[in-house]
Amino acid sequence: MRIVVCIKQVIDPEVPPSEFRIDPQKKEAVQGRANLVISTFDECALEVALQVKDKVPETTVTALTFGPKSAEEALRKALAMRADEAVRVDTDRTGRMDPAGVAQVLASTIQKIGGADVVLFGREGADFDSAQVGQMTAEALEMPLITLATEMEAVDKGIRARRHGDDGWSVVEAPTPVALTITNAPVNVPRIPKVKDVMQAHRKPITTMTLDELGIDPAILSEAAPVEMEELFIPEVNNQVTIIEGETPEEKAEKLAQAILALKVL
Amino acid sequence: MQLTAEQTALLETVRSFAQREIKPIVHTYEAEDRYPSEIVEKMQELGLFGLNIAPEYGGAGVDTVTYALVFEELSAVWMSLAGILGTHGIMAYVLQRFGTEEQKRRLLPRMASGELRGGLGLTEPDAGSDVQNLKTTAVRQGDRYVLNGQKMFITNSRYGSGLLVLARTNPLADKPSHGMSAFIVEHDEQTPGYIVRRPIHKLGYKGVETCELSFEDLQVPQENLVGGEEGHGFAQVMSGLEVGRINVAARAVGVARAAFEEAVRYAQQRQTFGQPIAQHQAIQLLLADMYTQLSAARHLYIDAAEKKDRGQRADLEAGMAKLFASEMCGKVTLDAMRIHGGYGYTTDFNVERYYRDAPLMIIGEGTNEIQRTVIARQLLQRYRV
Repeated sequence: MRIVVCIKQVIDPEVPPSEFRIDPQKKEAVQGRANLVISTFDECALEVALQVKDKVPETTVTALTFGPKSAEEALRKALAMRADEAVRVDTDRTGRMDPAGVAQVLASTIQKIGGADVVLFGREGADFDSAQVGQMTAEALEMPLITLATEMEAVDKGIRARRHGDDGWSVVEAPTPVALTITNAPVNVPRIPKVKDVMQAHRKPITTMTLDELGIDPAILSEAAPVEMEELFIPEVNNQVTIIEGETPEEKAEKLAQAILALKVL
Repeated sequence: MQLTAEQTALLETVRSFAQREIKPIVHTYEAEDRYPSEIVEKMQELGLFGLNIAPEYGGAGVDTVTYALVFEELSAVWMSLAGILGTHGIMAYVLQRFGTEEQKRRLLPRMASGELRGGLGLTEPDAGSDVQNLKTTAVRQGDRYVLNGQKMFITNSRYGSGLLVLARTNPLADKPSHGMSAFIVEHDEQTPGYIVRRPIHKLGYKGVETCELSFEDLQVPQENLVGGEEGHGFAQVMSGLEVGRINVAARAVGVARAAFEEAVRYAQQRQTFGQPIAQHQAIQLLLADMYTQLSAARHLYIDAAEKKDRGQRADLEAGMAKLFASEMCGKVTLDAMRIHGGYGYTTDFNVERYYRDAPLMIIGEGTNEIQRTVIARQLLQRYRV
């Protein structure tokens, strides 16, 4: 089984809020002192793929990213976790790219590298949280899509996945080729790579492709994209604390109810 | 120092491991002074015991600089674990550098996997700083050596499975150091003549066992004489201690860094006289000195490690790094406690642990008084008139 996991490099979402900055002109976040990491849910997707490989060793896992040269570090991390191959489609763009355009790039790349039995995505990027690339890529590849899966196993002629729903969880099966978006769960906490694998990952090749080679016009990522981002800003949050005074719990509750009603939030 | 992509990735791995696996349990293990078997197993899985062992023997083969950076990273969460790794690393270094090819092929892969976890059997009740005075003897009998003597303050001696032991093989040698040899002693609970007298209770450095040992007619196969030739043990172990001192300096920087980071955070949260204490100049002066000194100490150990990696003699630099970093650690951890005030004196906060751990680096791996004499001796040679 060949599994392709689409990963994105993002600014570490764990960066302290006090250090988070944006560049309003470029409409993108400023890296500052933060690390660049694999987007949270994408790393869970990688873990899901590697767990299949743990059970079925002939499985191959390819990590695929669309990003600048720095994104190779995300691929190196994937290789250190024991992905077999890494592919990067080069761009010098940073910041938001249109999900439909990204989906087209990823679908074309997957076709160019020989297709896949299973394509995995994180359920959404840890930067803009659009949650569209997985769905749009599956559509472009004409693959059925299972969303919000937490684990997957290989079965006869396909896969079985467990997915989260509003009312619990369900187990679904699908023939391959198939695409899945992965959400986080205790069962797919990303493994910590072994130190030897970290060192070896830096000696493995990364296949690089250009949009030219894929025959894709870069304009679809922004200028000619159907959605344009007009403004990017950090919302101002005003925290105000009002202490409700009162002699008895009943009195405090009454005053609290009045205060909530006065705010007209109910 | 600009880290390479490999170093960055490796440190990130160690940091993730420390945050996920060590940080949540350190308080409990420290309080109970319990040997962290589960963590050691996970360190084994991660491959930390093979860090400084060459890939052809199953290790990761990192250089001295990277190795020391890992020690800093681990120590910033729990210094005791760096201790478990430290003497194992010295044994691996000595074996890799001075062992015969047969010894390397036989022992290093097991050390890299952590199946054979080693330590250093050097100090004795009457021979610490004065190593040349050591009394343990190794007498050749047929195809083996018979060891007798006592060792003191030996890390990894109970829960580990191997020791690099320095013993006297020729009491009549022209110089005492020429009559010493180093042996790899493999042991378990059943090994005749390998007796763990008692675990030693300490101020800090909890969780790791530090024991008093006796060897009573302990038999060691002749093929475990490091390098296969008698009389080189002293020089072999001293070379290993150079790496050990660099790593002790890195451990001191790790502990001091943790203390500083907690202090600088606390200073911005704790209010007195209507403002965060970080706004008081008295606290600012402490913070500035703490960070300046720990940065200087880091430069010193990296400089020593780089020299070692270039194949140059580095005893002066390793000694200076160990001396400066450990004294710095003592001061910075005390300053972190001052900033925390009364809370810093309680076991509710980590700074009291950092403060208790700091003296180990001042005393261990050659006291700082010995470091000063080593440094001075080198300087007098270098500046001879």
